[in-house]
Amino acid sequence: MEFLAWLESTPIAGAITTSVWMYATFETIHYIGLAMLVGSIMLIDLRLLGFARSLPLPSMLGLLPWVWVGFLINVVTGSLMFIYNATSFGMNRMFWLKMTFMALAGINALVFTVAVARTGERWLTAAETPAAIKVVATLSLALWLGVMTAGRWMAYV
Amino acid sequence: MDFLAWLQSTAFATAVAETIWAYPLLETLHALGMAMLLGALGLTNLRILGYKPELPLLGTQDLLPLAWLGFTINAASGLALFTSDAIYFFSSYTFRIKIALIALAGVNAVILAHKVFRVPAGSDGGSPTAGVKWLAGLSLVFWVGAAIAGRLIAYTP
Repeated sequence: MEFLAWLESTPIAGAITTSVWMYATFETIHYIGLAMLVGSIMLIDLRLLGFARSLPLPSMLGLLPWVWVGFLINVVTGSLMFIYNATSFGMNRMFWLKMTFMALAGINALVFTVAVARTGERWLTAAETPAAIKVVATLSLALWLGVMTAGRWMAYV
Repeated sequence: MDFLAWLQSTAFATAVAETIWAYPLLETLHALGMAMLLGALGLTNLRILGYKPELPLLGTQDLLPLAWLGFTINAASGLALFTSDAIYFFSSYTFRIKIALIALAGVNAVILAHKVFRVPAGSDGGSPTAGVKWLAGLSLVFWVGAAIAGRLIAYTP
């Protein structure tokens, strides 16, 4: 709690509070980051589930840098927005739900990365993705939808 | 104006404005639809511009159902959000800019689809001409612009 209050008292937080355009700008950039992150993840997950089969899976996995760039943009803009209102967001259960979903999505992505490294050569160019990978892809879609939902709900609790 | 006043006085509009979960739910759906639309059209337009040439150009047509689903979700959720405060939204310049950008993006998409995907049977679509690439670039500008304007409605007169 003291840490949160300290965050809110930093010059960065002060600048965001006094500025008329900063928060709106961060929030807008957060949306563009969201579109890059979730837009690319969704394309990859849906392709793993069998959608858009005319696009080769290995090339679709090449979209992962977009996921990372979107993620980094949102970590930065998200942290700035958090600092501005740290004591309130720090106590917000929807914020912690969002962080939980993100952590789970991260673990899930790690499982996927390990699976591609260990068994990928068997199925990356195959007609059908293994059922276990489809489960991972479905979980990924569900968890990111959870991140977005909890993120939006934060403003209402 | 009479129509807008009537619209925001309907039982549906009142429910959207006053039910505790309706507004955040519609906003979450709107963000999800945006990610679907920008993800699918973003990749298609970037491919037309020469990104990831290993993806078959005509194969990007497989992404259009996702773009349409995103568009439909956003037309429906956007309309529902609009009714909750119709007079305010209608008189917002940022909202008008957003709608104008969507209209431009729509006309552009029809021309673009006609030029890129209407090819003789057996053709791989060839390489997009400079004119088509301009349209693809414009498409990205219009859609991202619509997303930015949309987020800024809450912050501008």
